[in-house]
Parts: sequence; C-alpha cells; structure tokens
Amino acid sequence: MKRGPSVFNLVSLTLGFAFLYLPIVLLVVWSFNASRLVTVWGGFSTRWYAAVFQNDQLMQAAWITVRVGLISATLATVLGTLAAVALTRHGRFRGRTLFSGMIYAPLVMPEVIMGLSLLLLFVALQVDRGFVTVTLAHTTLTMAYVAVVVQSRLATFDRSLEEAARDLGATSTRAFWQVTLPNIFPAILAGWMLAFTLSLDDLVIASFTSGPGATTLPMRIYSQVRLGVSPEINAVCTLLIGAVTVGVIIWSLASKWRARASA
Amino acid sequence: MKAPASPRGAQKTAGRRTNIGAVRSTFAPWNDPSAVPLVRFENVSKRFDDHVAVRDLSLDIYPGEFFALLGPSGCGKTTLMRMLAGFETPDTGRITLGGEDLAGVPPHERPVNMMFQSYALFPHLTVEQNIAFGLKQQGGLPKGEIAARVAEMLALVKLEPFARRKPDQLSGGQKQRVALARAVARKPKMLLLDEPLGALDKKLREETQFELMDLQVELGVTFLIVTHDQEEAMVMADRIAVMREGQIAQIGRPEEVYEAPASRYVAEFLGDVNLFDATVAASDHPLARLSAPEAAGGFEVMDDDCPPAGTAVTLAVRPEKMRISLDAPAADAANVMAGEIWDIGYTGDWTNYIVELPGERLIRVARANASRIVERPIGWDDKVWVTFDPDAGVVLTQ
Amino acid sequence: MNRPLPRPSALIPYVWLGLFFAFPFLLVLRLSLSDVALAIPPYSPQIDWEKGIDGIREFLGGLDFEMYDRMRGDHLYVNAYLTSLLFAAQGTIMALLVGYPMAYAMARCRPGTRNLLLMLVILPFWTSFLIRVYAWVGILKPEGLLNAALGVIGLPPIDLLYTPASVQIGLVYSYLPFMVLPLYAVLEKMDHTLLEAASDLGAPPWRSFWQVTFPISLPGVVAGCLLCFIPMVGEFVIPDLLGGPGSLMIGRSIWTEFFSNRDWPFASAVAIALLVTLIVPILLYQRQQARALEAGR
Repeated sequence: MKRGPSVFNLVSLTLGFAFLYLPIVLLVVWSFNASRLVTVWGGFSTRWYAAVFQNDQLMQAAWITVRVGLISATLATVLGTLAAVALTRHGRFRGRTLFSGMIYAPLVMPEVIMGLSLLLLFVALQVDRGFVTVTLAHTTLTMAYVAVVVQSRLATFDRSLEEAARDLGATSTRAFWQVTLPNIFPAILAGWMLAFTLSLDDLVIASFTSGPGATTLPMRIYSQVRLGVSPEINAVCTLLIGAVTVGVIIWSLASKWRARASA
Repeated sequence: MKAPASPRGAQKTAGRRTNIGAVRSTFAPWNDPSAVPLVRFENVSKRFDDHVAVRDLSLDIYPGEFFALLGPSGCGKTTLMRMLAGFETPDTGRITLGGEDLAGVPPHERPVNMMFQSYALFPHLTVEQNIAFGLKQQGGLPKGEIAARVAEMLALVKLEPFARRKPDQLSGGQKQRVALARAVARKPKMLLLDEPLGALDKKLREETQFELMDLQVELGVTFLIVTHDQEEAMVMADRIAVMREGQIAQIGRPEEVYEAPASRYVAEFLGDVNLFDATVAASDHPLARLSAPEAAGGFEVMDDDCPPAGTAVTLAVRPEKMRISLDAPAADAANVMAGEIWDIGYTGDWTNYIVELPGERLIRVARANASRIVERPIGWDDKVWVTFDPDAGVVLTQ
Repeated sequence: MNRPLPRPSALIPYVWLGLFFAFPFLLVLRLSLSDVALAIPPYSPQIDWEKGIDGIREFLGGLDFEMYDRMRGDHLYVNAYLTSLLFAAQGTIMALLVGYPMAYAMARCRPGTRNLLLMLVILPFWTSFLIRVYAWVGILKPEGLLNAALGVIGLPPIDLLYTPASVQIGLVYSYLPFMVLPLYAVLEKMDHTLLEAASDLGAPPWRSFWQVTFPISLPGVVAGCLLCFIPMVGEFVIPDLLGGPGSLMIGRSIWTEFFSNRDWPFASAVAIALLVTLIVPILLYQRQQARALEAGR
C-alpha cells in the first residue's frame, strides 16, 4: 500500500531523464542528417555510416579497441572475482586494509593520475607501449569495478547453501564452484560487461599507456574531434548505442525467458 | 486469570443468555443506549484493484474499550484500521471520531496514533528522540514540557536506562515498548495496535498481554488491536469483532463469541470445535432433539433459538466440553458417541484426544490433566465413549 | 595479533594491484622529486648501485622539491588547482540537487517501473562518454542547437561554450548517474512504514522528509558526493572539450605538461599534488565502503 510517485516526483524524473538522454537522442538524429550542420536538417541520409565503414583508420581503431576490451574484461573479471571472494570470505588476513584500499581507490582515482603512473611503470620496466600495455592498464582499472559488483552480490548470498553442499560431502572449493559460482554468475557477467564497457570507452588511460599501432577508438575519435566536427563520429556513436541497446534488450528478454522456463 | 482492578462502572449485561463462567468485568457501554461511541464506521467500503477489502461495514467503538478486530489475513481488518489512521480512504461510507467526520483529514492531523507491526522505530534517532518525535510536531507539546513527558513515558514502559540507545541496540520486547511509548506520548484519543504481540516469544507474549491491559486502563485510552491470533484477542479485549471477507461475522465479548458463536465460521475460527451436521428431530422444552449419524441416540441440546423440526443444522461442541471415558455410559443416554482413539496430543496441562467414530469421522476431545497420577490412562487404539451435556453445544444455522 | 597471511587465491589480485596500482605511485613520487628532464629517462638523480650505500645516499641527496617550488610559484597552476576544486564542488552540489529528486522518485515507483528506470540511468554508461560530452558542443556552440531553440522562442542567443558554465553542465551531465545510483540504493531500501509512523505522529509530508528520509539517506548522499567530487577534480575530457581559458583544470594541466611540454617530472609533481589533496576524500570513501562491507556481513 505504498503511495506511488507524486507529481513533483514525475516532473523530476522526466526532466532528469530528458537531460540525460538529450545528447544521445541528438547524436542519433545528427547521424542521419544529410547536412553537416547541427541546426539544419538536410534530409535523411546514411552517408555518414558509409563513410565510417570506409574510414580505415576508424575501423582499425575499433577492432583494436574491441580486442583490448575483450581481453582486459575477461582478465579483470577473473581477478576481480578473486578479489571479491577474498574480501568477503577470507576474514581478516594480514594486509587486508591495504588490499581493500587498493580495490576501492581506482573507482574514484582521477584517470590522469592512474594513466601517468602506469606509463612511468612501463617505462621503468622498459616495456614498449602498445597493445599489451593498454590491455594491462585497462585490466587494472576495471578489476576494481568487477570486484565491487561481485562483492556486493556475494555479501547477500545465502551462505547456508554452501554449508549444505559441504554437509553433503563437497569440499570447500567444490562447494564454491558448484554452488556459489553458478548462483552469483549474473553478477560476474554484469561485472564483465561493466569492465568491457569501461575499456571500450576509456580515453585518458589509453592515451598514456598505448603506443603506435595500438590506437584505440576513443583516441582516434578524440584526435578527430579536436580538428572539428565530423558527422562520422555521430554515426559511430549511434552504432555503439544501437549495439548496446540491442544487447540489453536481448539480455533482458533472455533472462525473462529463462525465469519463465524455470518457473 | 487475574481480574484487573477496573475503575469502570458496574453495569448489568443484558441480552442473550450466556450460561458461561465468571464474567470478567461489568464494563459494557455497548449495551447502554445512552452511551456515545468514540469511533463510528458507517457503511464503509473499500476496494483495491482486484478485490473488495471492506464491504459495507458498520461498527461502533466506545471510549475506554479494548477492542479487537480478529480475522485471517485478507479479511479487511488491517484496511479498516488504516482507514481510521488515515493511510487509506474509504470508497463509500463515513468514519467519525468523537462525532467529527474524518474525511479529508490527513494522518498527521488525526488524534489517533498507531503502533506498527514492525515497530517502525526511526533508526537514526535514540529511544528518547523517537518518543519525543511526535511531541515536537504540531499538536505536540511546548518545548519546555517535552523532556518531562518523555521521562514520563520512559517510566511507564520501564525503559529509563535505555533512553540514549539506538533501536538496533534493543531487543524485540524493548523495541515494542519504545514503539508503544512513542505512540501514546501524544496522549491520543485512540491507539491502534497492529499485530502487537506477533514478533514476541511465548513467555514475553503472556507478560505483555497483561501489561497492555493494565496500561490501557491506566492511560484511559481506547485501544483497537488488529490480530489474527485469537488467543491474543480473547485475553486482552473487552469486545471482539470477528471478520470475514470484509464484513463482521460477529461482535461480542470474548466469552460470547467463543461460547455462543453465531456461525460455523466464527465457531471454527476461535479455538477448536467439533461440528456435527444434524437435523432437528423434535422439540421437548427445555430440550430439543437432533438426529445425526455420529450418535446412535441422537443429540440432546437446549432449545433456545432452536429452529423448527426438520431443519438442517450444525451442532458445535468444543473439545473441552466433552467427556471421554473407557467405561460405557448408561444404555440409552443421549449425546453418546463410541469410538477408538486415533491419536493423542499431550501438552502437559491438557491432553487432546482424536477419536475415530464409525464412518471414519474424527472428533477432538480435550481433557485437563487434573491429576498427576492416572490409574487407567487412555492409550492409542483404546475403545472409548465420548459424552457431553445438553448445554455444552451450540446449534448453528449458518 | 596473529593474523593469517592472505591465501593464494587472494594473493593473485593482491600482487597484481600492488604491482600495477600501488607501486607506480612511488615512481611518480620519485619522478616528481627529480630534476627537469624531457620525457624519457634517465632521470637524475640516479642510484649508482656500484657505489653501494653511498650511492643510495647520493641519490637521496639529489632529490629535491624543485618541481613543487616551481608549481607553487606559477600562479597558473595554483589557479588551475583551485579552479578544479571549485568546479568539482559546484558540480557535486548541482549533481546532488538534480540527482536526489530523481533517485527519490525512482524509489517510489512500482518495482517493475523502478527496474526499467534503473536500466535507463545505467544505459548512458554504455555509450561513449567522450562522444556524449562532445554532443554538448553541438548544443552549446554559438551556432548550435540551444541558440537555435532560443531563437525560435524569440530570446537572444547565449554564448555558453568554452565557459565555466559549459564545463559545469558537462560535469553534472557526465556524473549524474554516479550520484543517482548510490542515492537510489539507499532510498530503495528504506522502510516506508517509517514515513507512515512519522505521519501518524503528526509530521506533515515535508517534515517527514527532512526529519526521517533525508537523515536516513545520508550515507547514500556521502557516497554519491565522494564518487562525484574526487574524479571531478582530476577530470580531463570535459574541461578539454567544453572549457575555455577561464576554466583550466588540473587534469588538463597534467595532460598538457605531459604530452605537449614533455616535462614529465613537472607533470609528476602536479599529479602528486593532486593526489595529496584527494587522499583525505579517497580515504573517507574507502572507510565508508569498508564499513558498509562489514555491516553487510
């Protein structure tokens, strides 16, 4: 018997979401605008999309970005999950405070600082900057996010399920793999997606830690944006938005379908 | 059971004859035609999207009463209470408090306070601050007097040493007292209690029942409790309204409702009962005869309010009103049933016997374990005879 | 206190973070204490291992605060530093003013609607941050959409781009989800019967909000503010794309110093100065998270 949102609530919601989505909507509209200008509608056109696919530099950068994202996200998920387990299950071990500090710090640390420090590390280790260094940098950044997501799910997970498994003869590790892990899997998957997205989107750290031959899409977009308006960028963004929206819709349909199937 | 020292005036109970034990108190304003109700529900209805919660309900509650709304979940009792508190508005009908219509009056302006089932203590405030909360609002007290009232309330519920604690540092029973103190701090005309004892363990529940009763008399506030626990209602209330699907099935004193239920529903809801489908065979004032398959010699009951011969009725007999014996009674006595012990439930003070009658019918007989040592205890599969007196049962037509 | 060592499975992320996160800060610190150099090493002073202990002593003697003195003396940097703090504070407050009503409204909707709205808040995360900020250029520039809209209504055009105002808009826009999410998390869990109790005890709705809802939501407010303020101070992309000369922020300074002027030691000093300022809020945030973690156990 909870009262629903009031008029004031609905107005704040509408205004808030309008503010959030205005640029996105505009980008989509502009990407189909035959005219280069943002204030003039020159008719519906897909020429910018065509231009995107013909732009080798952009396509190459996109491919590199996707690969960096896939690898770093997967690595980050593994590391982040281990970290989350350590934080929630391993009780008080020596150095725990430092550990948890290192987990939460990247969440708020300004990226220029992280980028700078990682670059200095690679230089000190005399590692050439490129694909590998960017991937390592992204892994470090995003594992913290994965850890937070998985940890919050682990905290609410019912321990007695694991205990029941052990009572029935499973070792600690087996109980974790066969009972806990499958149940927290959605959180792990969410963590992976978050890590992937962050990697895809990162400009600052990539600029510091990447090298020639491993220019990522954000880096490419940034350099093009400095030079002036290019509607191809709008097309790229719309493609990204479209891909993400489709992905989200598929995911929520899949989970609804799975929920109904198991009901 | 302790009879509370009551400052209520003495009044003779008129109305239906109830041949029951000691009457607990003689407070009964509902029988006094000149008494003015404090709260009146007039033809109140409330519906939520898919179902009707309260259906054309009318009810009077008198000042100084300890009134209970009793019923299973979904019967509308909580909705009724919330309408009185102001959290729901009736679709039709009127609710008046002290003669004034409550329509349009928001909860924070009503002289009614509620003790929530979950206690709803403010987690960020101490016990003192929780109790003071209502006093700081409009209609509370001037600043200088708040501290004194808070101290008074703390003493009332005996929580003085816990004044500075936060709710998460209290036990369940202590939280309940804070919730109570907070609710009565503003000295409301009426206090609503939502399932007040549900979260407490058995011992605490019993203690708290008596404390609530004493508190109610001490404060002089009208209490309305909402509960699904009939024991709670019967111990504490002056009157109980048994509710069913949005309507009142019966109102009366606990003894009336228990010993003289008006319907099968009420008989079954309160405590255990054995129900026998029977037909009225003959009337033989002051007795009446019913024929039923379970009793070879038929049933003999009191004939007041007994319908004419040939009517199908239900005879309701409570387990504790029946007698059970290993010895056969006189040959053609009425109210005799023969059977076998099906199951035994021993609870220390009582023993419940489930007896199987011919035709695979099970009935329940309860017997107080009045002696420590029993010479011939009744055991499983024993053949037994069950009897009861003519005034032990109630004839029900609905 | 005999606490056990971390288990092997915990050691892996521990070592990783130690190597890739914590250790590099020491490098930055060391570099900030070095002499001027252009980009790549060697940086002086160096440890001459052959000299043994003396080598280390010489190294330590060679470190100086030259870079920090330079920074303090150059009012451009001091300005950038203070501007960053100011902008971050303003941006955080604005985000709170916009985000709190949103989170509150979301928490009051039906569960189905709530999840949808939550999705909608998170969705922009998944679209390029860079490009979304860049879109604001198209809106705010003199010949952009905002002025076109104003023109249609008949109002004069405003020149918002490359001003502190546009940086603020960008900051609030980008960090709004970071404010809404922790607020929503706290508000959603709030027990609604508390509000009914407050109302029952005589508090009108707005008082119920201030005396019950807001205090209980405070942990969410603190988390949201820290999550916004700390990264905002070091933000680079937003002031770079939307800001002008009057809105130089420290993130941009570090970038410029690093990539354009190639004075790595100096950039390191600026970075350390920024880090030192943020240490307290960062520790606050970590303590709050750790406490929340404990409470959840």
